[in-house]
Amino acid sequence: MTLALRGVRYRYAGAAAAALEGVSLTLEPGHVLGVVGPNGAGKSTLCLVAAGLAPATIGGELAGEVRIDGVTTASSRPHELAQRCGILFQNPTTQLSGTSATVWEEVAFGPRNLGLPLEEVVARVDAALDALTIRPLADRDPERLSGGQAQLVALAGVLALRPAYLVLDEPTSQLDPQGTRLVGTAIGELARQTGAGVLVVEHKTDLLATIAEQVAVLVAGSVVASDEAASILADARLEAWGIESPSRIRIERAARRAGVHLVSEVEA
Amino acid sequence: MQPSDPAASAASAGPPGVPAFVQRPPEGAYRRLNPTTKLVIAVVEALTAFVLRGWTGLVIVLALVVVTAAVARIGRAMLPFMLATIPLIASILLVNTFLYPGATDAIVRIGPLTPSWSGLEFATQAALRVVAFALSVAVFGLTTRPDDLVSDLERRGLGRRVGFVISATLRTVPRILQRAGEITEAQRARGMDTEGGIWRRVRGVLPLAGPLIFGALTDVEEQAMALEARAFSAPARRTVLRTFPDSPAQRTLRWALLATLLLVVGLSVSGRLEFLP
Amino acid sequence: MTVSALRTEGLGFVYPEGTRALEGVDLEILQGERVAIIGQNGSGKSTLVRHFNGLLRPTEGSVAVAGTPVGMRHVAELAREVGLAFQNPDRQIFSGRVAREVEFGPRNIGISGQELAACVNDALAAVGLEGRAEANPYDLGFSQRKLLALASVLAMRPPIVVLDEPTTGQDANGIGRVRSIVEMLSSDGRTVVAISHDMRFVAETFARIIVMRAGRVVLDGSPREVFAQEQWPILASTYLEPPLAARIGARMGAGSTPTEAMLVERLLEQGGAMGTGRAG
Repeated sequence: MTLALRGVRYRYAGAAAAALEGVSLTLEPGHVLGVVGPNGAGKSTLCLVAAGLAPATIGGELAGEVRIDGVTTASSRPHELAQRCGILFQNPTTQLSGTSATVWEEVAFGPRNLGLPLEEVVARVDAALDALTIRPLADRDPERLSGGQAQLVALAGVLALRPAYLVLDEPTSQLDPQGTRLVGTAIGELARQTGAGVLVVEHKTDLLATIAEQVAVLVAGSVVASDEAASILADARLEAWGIESPSRIRIERAARRAGVHLVSEVEA
Repeated sequence: MQPSDPAASAASAGPPGVPAFVQRPPEGAYRRLNPTTKLVIAVVEALTAFVLRGWTGLVIVLALVVVTAAVARIGRAMLPFMLATIPLIASILLVNTFLYPGATDAIVRIGPLTPSWSGLEFATQAALRVVAFALSVAVFGLTTRPDDLVSDLERRGLGRRVGFVISATLRTVPRILQRAGEITEAQRARGMDTEGGIWRRVRGVLPLAGPLIFGALTDVEEQAMALEARAFSAPARRTVLRTFPDSPAQRTLRWALLATLLLVVGLSVSGRLEFLP
Repeated sequence: MTVSALRTEGLGFVYPEGTRALEGVDLEILQGERVAIIGQNGSGKSTLVRHFNGLLRPTEGSVAVAGTPVGMRHVAELAREVGLAFQNPDRQIFSGRVAREVEFGPRNIGISGQELAACVNDALAAVGLEGRAEANPYDLGFSQRKLLALASVLAMRPPIVVLDEPTTGQDANGIGRVRSIVEMLSSDGRTVVAISHDMRFVAETFARIIVMRAGRVVLDGSPREVFAQEQWPILASTYLEPPLAARIGARMGAGSTPTEAMLVERLLEQGGAMGTGRAG
């Protein structure tokens, strides 16, 4: 039971060239897989394909296979995919439904759409709010939250659908340092607590160093490296690929070059 | 804040487990009426005002509208609605008093201008219709929250897409205004003049409209994806989260009002109401 | 050089709906300085910089650009002196051609002909888009569109350049490019002010850092001063964390070392391979 991409090639409708070529990745339940790469590498496309939104919702041409727990995304309807794989985008505001007066109702949006019995809806909303420790926000107006809070509410809205997998596309990009920490910690805890498999696209390699077990590098539509996080993040080729190494790695390298030894444990 | 307090939920008579702040019953007897009831009242009052000819019917409807407004206790909040009608009423009064066709009962002659009593009578009736219309809309707008109405209509079978469009549109306006503000700022910072004379400002349409429209389109795409990703197109009927009190009395009232509207329209169109002064 | 570029005295700002965004801000930025403004969202950073080109007018206090009070001078006029580049390029790009987009700014301030072409070409070269002058901005990726938006401000050749979150959403190459642009502007004698959330970028690129919290300036100094251990409680109070290099340096008793270069330098001074143990 995994979210697996095998030899995936994807071309947007009307585009000349493929955005993804020969991509194979496996996301395991309870694990966090980080994806890094320069802008334009196809990371957002990868998210859409993994969650099945491409081609189901936005069209385009998909070759190869994307299977979520064995079922191909090509043979699933959008609302079925929504229950198997949740997706979170960069911008908190566009993904809030804009129709809810309170955070509680916003989180209930997904379960309600499925027509679940009321007790089930209530249970899922309360569980999602608790998982992200945002119960105190339950009665607030979603349009009046800080960026970090809005992202957590959007994430809770996705969690309420109880997907086995989550795809997060630069979830901290629009956030200030506090917001980044909030969301980062929540993601880190999520896989552990709910057993969901999480794929996170991030520029902030420092953040990935603390939450990801594996990291894949996407450059120009192809996966050029994929391994344990510690190994990839220490790879000397990151900068050449257009990715900033984590602060810790850079400092250790600079220290080594100068012949200086560093203290071993400093909080990341 | 403990949202799912069972006692509080029970007190608000909403579905169990749903927090009180989600149910949020309004204050005041009129506001607590079912949203659809309030909608029907407003529609019937507003339409009847325009269908009835002559003074009697108009006065009756106006009285009903005023009574409704009093019962609903909307108070001073109605002022913006009423003030908005002033330009329209002023032009109706002027145009009809002075230019009523075929009038011979002049009030006074001021050179080429001949205001007539018939014109004035017609104008006053038209003005009162506008007042009745505006007041019934005001009562509805001030006593009914849009999401309450949409929720109730959805429970009665309104499709989720229509309901979504209504709710989202209302909330989208502030968002678009904010975005327009951001775009204007960026272009002003690049020297586009919005403080100088008119002619300098006119050159700024494309730099303002372009990003606004394009941004709105790309946003729409992202929002559509986000909705699909939250199972918006699932075939099931959406779970009802909020219920609004309804009663046989209200149901009867709604049907009676709609029947009255049909009756009035029918009689008026077929000319049977001519006997009313 | 002690020519004043930007000065505020007792600057306060309250939004129309009543929120206070700035209070008692007294700042002086000299021509040629490189300044970063950091702080949580809502601390007043964006509100502050919008006073520099007249987009916002003070509720209290005053603002002066190049020594002259801003008063009620039009934004369009102040744009010649203070260029402000915004965070989201898609909120300003409207042309179907890169070059035409970059021309918008200089055209508005009356530049034309040969000079216009020169402004545009120089700006495109500065951001690395010189080969894409005929391209459609939406054929460029997000990183490049952000640089395009920056170029469109640079083309106006303002002596003071203000950047609102230039590195948000950028990849490593983009951040590197922004850094070179800041250095280029600085060596050209121009004043650069940037708002950023990236502590490492800020520590490595700017000579002066202003920290804001709840509408006030709470710290103002060099990276070494601002990220020194004594200031950490103040930074924590506004949910900021010093760069890792500073934290490691403090841990190893190397003093305030906000950048990796400073850290390594200090450790070498302290005696090369000293650190198998933890100092202090």
